[in-house]
Amino acid sequence: MKVSYSSDEERFREEVRKWFEDNTPSDVKDQTLGGSTLEHGLMFKWHKTLYEKGWIVPEFPKELGGAGLSETEQFIFNYEYSHCGAPRLKTKLVSLGMLAPLLLQHGTKEQQDRFIPDMLSGKTIWCQGFSEPNAGSDLASLNLKAVLEGDHFVLNGQKTWTSMADHADWIFLLVRTDSSGKKQEGISFLLADLKTPGITIRPIEALTDHAPFCEVFFDDVRVPKENLVGKMGEGWKLAGALLQHERLNAFPVGELIYAIETVRKNSGKTIYRGKPLIQDPTFRRKLAALEVDCNSLLYTFFRILSQLKIGSAPGPEASFLKVYGSELYRRVMDLNIEVLGPYGQSWYNLEEFDNSIHQATMGWVNSTSLTIWGGSSEIQRTVIATQVLKLPRK
Amino acid sequence: MDFQLSSEHLSLKESVASFVKKDHSFDRLRHLRNDPLGYSKEVWKKMAELGWMGLIYPEEYGGLELDFAFVMVLLEEFGRGLLPEPWISNVLLGGNLVLMGGSESQKHEVLPGVISGDLMITAAYLENDGRYDINFCATSAEQRGDAYFISGKKIFVLDGLSADRFVITARTSESVADKDGITLFMVSSRENGVKLTPLKTMDGRNACILELKDVSVPGSNVIGEVGRGYPLLFEAIDHATAGLCAEMVGGMQASIDLTVAYLSERTQFGKPIGTFQTPQHKAADMFIQKELAVSSVYYAIASIDEKTDERALAVSIAKTKCSSAYMEITKAAVQLFGGIGFTNEGDIGFFLKRAKVSEILFGDTDYHLDRYTRLSGY
Repeated sequence: MKVSYSSDEERFREEVRKWFEDNTPSDVKDQTLGGSTLEHGLMFKWHKTLYEKGWIVPEFPKELGGAGLSETEQFIFNYEYSHCGAPRLKTKLVSLGMLAPLLLQHGTKEQQDRFIPDMLSGKTIWCQGFSEPNAGSDLASLNLKAVLEGDHFVLNGQKTWTSMADHADWIFLLVRTDSSGKKQEGISFLLADLKTPGITIRPIEALTDHAPFCEVFFDDVRVPKENLVGKMGEGWKLAGALLQHERLNAFPVGELIYAIETVRKNSGKTIYRGKPLIQDPTFRRKLAALEVDCNSLLYTFFRILSQLKIGSAPGPEASFLKVYGSELYRRVMDLNIEVLGPYGQSWYNLEEFDNSIHQATMGWVNSTSLTIWGGSSEIQRTVIATQVLKLPRK
Repeated sequence: MDFQLSSEHLSLKESVASFVKKDHSFDRLRHLRNDPLGYSKEVWKKMAELGWMGLIYPEEYGGLELDFAFVMVLLEEFGRGLLPEPWISNVLLGGNLVLMGGSESQKHEVLPGVISGDLMITAAYLENDGRYDINFCATSAEQRGDAYFISGKKIFVLDGLSADRFVITARTSESVADKDGITLFMVSSRENGVKLTPLKTMDGRNACILELKDVSVPGSNVIGEVGRGYPLLFEAIDHATAGLCAEMVGGMQASIDLTVAYLSERTQFGKPIGTFQTPQHKAADMFIQKELAVSSVYYAIASIDEKTDERALAVSIAKTKCSSAYMEITKAAVQLFGGIGFTNEGDIGFFLKRAKVSEILFGDTDYHLDRYTRLSGY
């Protein structure tokens, strides 16, 4: 067993670390803890910078616009990316992170050629249309109807919690094409241009006072038949493959380490009763306990990486990374706001106080969502109980 | 970065697992709880014959000279079955201190006996008013001529009742809580002035109070340098702690296996209680806690093998993580078993008690978090 990287890996890590240190603009970097609040213009600019460097989707093979990284290099890249304080890139999470791998596996050659290049350059922004008002954790109950009429599907219904829909160009959808049999079997996977007549988008204001997601309404929306991915009725299977991908990447551990390091740094600078807060016995006990948990999660990623190296990909057991990671991140955000003392109640006040105060309070509110989206903690625990521990379902 | 076990590690795992299955059972534990020693000398001898006491020792003393991941694998399987034999105290504490600090003649005198299972040796370092601090040492060693005369009292000496020898800490200079001035001595349990008071621990194992009244020890029994015992003890206890953590992980896994089986069998309201979401989610939390604990142990073990500067930090992380995980898992397990969980007729309660003793052994969570803050430079 080994706890250190090989010298090649170490060299790569240093290269990535240095590049991000030199090239991440401060107005991008300082927005990380706040979560989803990075202004869209800045995000597109940052996307372009990474694209030009050839690092927009480094896990892809070179011929597909990636950097052909190994599993370990990929982990190092992702870790260093978020550890330097760069925010999650929402312009690629959904497109290159989810849809592109799916199209490469299940899409037609035409679909791949038509859509993937613009995902890479950032020219086309995608959003994900899965959830509906009555289909959340019970996703298979979805009811956006798509009826085939000639060369087109005609769509009627609604999606919700659609992140970035108000800034996106295209949406990929789970639609109901058949209501006769088992509910999972009548679902199909469609791609739709958001400019198509009949689509209405209504942003939803979140607790952060931003609108990170929207409702999307479909009123006799005509989508060409060639935008179907896979076969009719295969949508549930495709969504499963895609969500599995999301689950593995659902928790950026480098961001967690960045957050806990920020707490530690700030508590060293905050003065309480004449001494740095980090020396207060009660506070340091709490910080140490959180650092222990953060390190244990980091080591868990190392362990899974070792498994990936020998080709044993984690299945449903990876669910625990999302549950534990998101709950731990919330605890880190609790302590982050605690460091601020009275300033922990501040909301905006961008003129009066330092940006870091805004990031901490915004980040605390935003962290509340982490245990909800991408499969709530409750759903993930049920997955662990029934699929990993094999407890009886009935 | 590599946390993979080799086929040699896995083959040891298999043979230990089948040994535990064949030569050990929960009924054996029920019987041994009432025995003062709490373990069986026959089983100990068999383990020695399999070469397991020699795992980490150099070949010249009769050992196998293997890496620390073998220790992890071995102890994890011991932990799964709650094997009570005193492997950690003999191999990772007493014998290990002689290996790390002893002279050639001390090593030749002691280690072959440890490896053959014929010589029992543990370490005695905890004192009243010191809680877990291994630098707290009021026991004094006064030099008169060639010999040292030692007086003092050690508490909860791990597996002390069966020990032929003790490696003890005694102060040769400085004051009571200083790290400098502590010297390690090897003392025979039959020496004049040595008094043992047997103790039982919650999990049915043995410990003792060791009192020394003007015990005469020749200068040739000093291990390492006079006044420089602390760093040796610190490192040996780190090894023992990492080993204990591996044992704890085995216990966590066994507790989860037993609980999942029970939840699948036990029927109430017309269906297995494992179909209800409250027990399901508790079981999921047990799994999550265990996974994190496993990772922390791998990291600590690999840090010991690679001799990195992070060893002590990694050990404190692992001990903190394992203590809370093992406690949470076994508390939830007993709760999910219900009434039978609270009895000696059920097996799961043995894990709860072992978890509590393990949490305390080599420093509890507060101790290790405090150690972590210091090592980490807060």
